Amino acid sequence: MTSPTDQLPHRYPFILVDRVLMREPGVRVVAEKLVSATEPYFSGHFPERPLVPGVLMLEMLAQAGGFLEAEPLSGQAIFLAAVQDARFKAQAFPGDRLTLEVQFEAAFAGITRINGKVSCEGRELCTAKLLVKKVAP
Amino acid sequence: MDDLNQRVKEMIIQRLKLEGMTPDQIDGQAPLFGEGLGLDSIDALELVLGIEQTFGVKIEDEAAGLKAFRSVDALTEFIREHQKG
Repeated sequence: MTSPTDQLPHRYPFILVDRVLMREPGVRVVAEKLVSATEPYFSGHFPERPLVPGVLMLEMLAQAGGFLEAEPLSGQAIFLAAVQDARFKAQAFPGDRLTLEVQFEAAFAGITRINGKVSCEGRELCTAKLLVKKVAP
Repeated sequence: MDDLNQRVKEMIIQRLKLEGMTPDQIDGQAPLFGEGLGLDSIDALELVLGIEQTFGVKIEDEAAGLKAFRSVDALTEFIREHQKG
């Protein structure tokens, strides 16, 4: 399967996809993020009780969405344009194996809407619709 | 005011959550994007989906969108023409 850094322009410490499990460009992607105890943000979020910030789960979904594109995104600008109906149902902690599922919903005039879900061992942690805008290189 | 035009306005208000706005407050001649209603490209996608689900008419590409989204009245005509087919 595609290596994350071959497809996405993101790099450490902000590449939030570790592995792609299933990829059908333009349709659906299932990817994975293993939450390590050494994630840089855990030292402050929070010192006594490390947990993954909700907005980072949205970013994980946005990055997983990058694999819906057939071509590598390096050098090509793609932006998050809106987040709709975001729900955070449970928290993610160090050691969690997060499953990131994104599905194409619709596109028009350079804006694409995708449905995303973050889960951990079958438990739903976060769902959201993301609108991404692709800018011609 | 014809019925389809009214329904198009209601769909726009509902899909774009233009809360507090009534169909009568929408100027049928005013452009939907930029000036006029001041919609943006995210709204455009929402409208494309709304038109498809409510009226069964597909706006295939940007060229069709340019024509359909000139104004509410233009959109009404666009839907009327394509519903016939």
